[in-house]
Amino acid sequence: MASRELVDVAVIGGGPAGLAAAAEAKGEGAGRVVMFERDERVGGILPQQIHDGFGTKVFKEALTGPEYSAIYEARVNERGVETWLKTTVTDLSRDRVLTVRSNRGIQTIEAGAVVLAMGCRERTRGAIGTSGTRPAGVYTAGAVQYYMNVSNLAVGRKVVILGSGDIGLIMARRMILEGAEVVCVAEILPQPSGIAGNIVRCLEDFDIPLYLSTTVVEIHGKERVTGVTLAEVGPKMGEKKGTRRFIECDTLLLSVGLIPETELANGLGLSMSPMTNGAIVDDSFRTSVPGIFSCGNVLQVHDVVDYATLEAEKTGIAAATWAMTGKLPEPIIDINSGAGLRYALPAKISGNDAVDFTMRPWKEEHDKSVIFSSGGEVLRRLKMPHMEPAGMIRVRVGKGRFNHVVDNEITVELGE
Amino acid sequence: MKSTIVCIVCPVSCPVEVEWTKEDGVLGLKNHLCRLAGPYVESELFDPRRLLTTSIPVDGGDWPLVSVKTEPPIPKDKMLEAMDEITGVRVNAPVKIGDILIENLLGTGSDVVATRNVDAA
Repeated sequence: MASRELVDVAVIGGGPAGLAAAAEAKGEGAGRVVMFERDERVGGILPQQIHDGFGTKVFKEALTGPEYSAIYEARVNERGVETWLKTTVTDLSRDRVLTVRSNRGIQTIEAGAVVLAMGCRERTRGAIGTSGTRPAGVYTAGAVQYYMNVSNLAVGRKVVILGSGDIGLIMARRMILEGAEVVCVAEILPQPSGIAGNIVRCLEDFDIPLYLSTTVVEIHGKERVTGVTLAEVGPKMGEKKGTRRFIECDTLLLSVGLIPETELANGLGLSMSPMTNGAIVDDSFRTSVPGIFSCGNVLQVHDVVDYATLEAEKTGIAAATWAMTGKLPEPIIDINSGAGLRYALPAKISGNDAVDFTMRPWKEEHDKSVIFSSGGEVLRRLKMPHMEPAGMIRVRVGKGRFNHVVDNEITVELGE
Repeated sequence: MKSTIVCIVCPVSCPVEVEWTKEDGVLGLKNHLCRLAGPYVESELFDPRRLLTTSIPVDGGDWPLVSVKTEPPIPKDKMLEAMDEITGVRVNAPVKIGDILIENLLGTGSDVVATRNVDAA
């Protein structure tokens, strides 16, 4: 008979979201909090993100990834969270029974509340369907970041980067600093996918060209990459005739987006958002299945770890409250995302407390406002000098504003 | 004169509009969301600096590398020279966050400081 253990809050994933959720669940008074991490260490991607820029919201200073991670690792340890390393959760049921696999064998865990904090993974060459041969030398940017910054392995001398996501930009700079040549960054969209700050300090600082509306249409090489063919694309992403050109390189880095790692949750029948590819949640970060919560990059891809941390802290507190009392404020107000926004999260709120809404615009906007309204009346308006799809927007709406909600409905949109 | 400088302190990347002269320095700022933008823009105009982050091999540690940063940031045009200086340095475990691994890098007054704990293996 396999062992069966009881825990109050089970946190799946030990990255930034899992660490913050577990620390706050324990801090809120939950009895037994266990964080399951399949890797041999916690921190998720942070230990390999040796650059700075983490913590400007939470700590008001720019820390490096390993420093930021170390703060939360110390916190979960001090508060008495159990961290089960090298442990994979292979199954999760709607009644919160987990199957976990580790070198102790297979165990069954019954949890009072479950926090999904599995993060996301990189899209690969397969996911973007690039044609050509299958030589060595094609990597995702995050994999190269791990090789270079954790394992002390170099991957190539002459590099083309496809995709201008933040990790790709960071790796462009990193490879230049380590002596490689970065020929160019190609981005299929007409605007960069990474944040503007990284265009400045990773590309412009080192005179690395960024070709917009340009993609890799073919990869060359038998054993090892010998080059790529770039081509420009039109507004509908079709290749523009006569724009093909060959670029010699021995390495192609892909920074072409992130996919929330939701497989474990697929069997749960959670209501999912087609915009975030994560679960639909309320302002306690509850999913549609009672007792199952979600936060961090498995909920929505973040570009600022601080926001993932803040979201996860709230989730940890809510999960602990649920595990201890079985009660949370009922979400009665629907949030509709309107003009100019791809999505706004959460989808439902209770109105009992202030809410930090997170959202992304469809396109770059200047001098527009984020407007919350209900029944034709504006509840809150925040002027934003600059918004872009690469930058998540986070707007707090105070509790008092929800007194003026009509018909339990709020619309969030961009306007003047 | 007027310039637009993208603030790189945090990921929000405010495109700060700055009015300035060589003689009087920064006269006014617009389009920024927090107070961290002011010092950055001033430094970017008159003494551009970057926090250089890289890693140094560790002997006898539970990680092969310790990540490091220059503290305070070094002049922007010294980054590649600084990398040459750091390359070849090795340290022994254990290393603690905050340990100074190279003092006064290239005479800039900046130290190379560990950003990861590496325990002895």
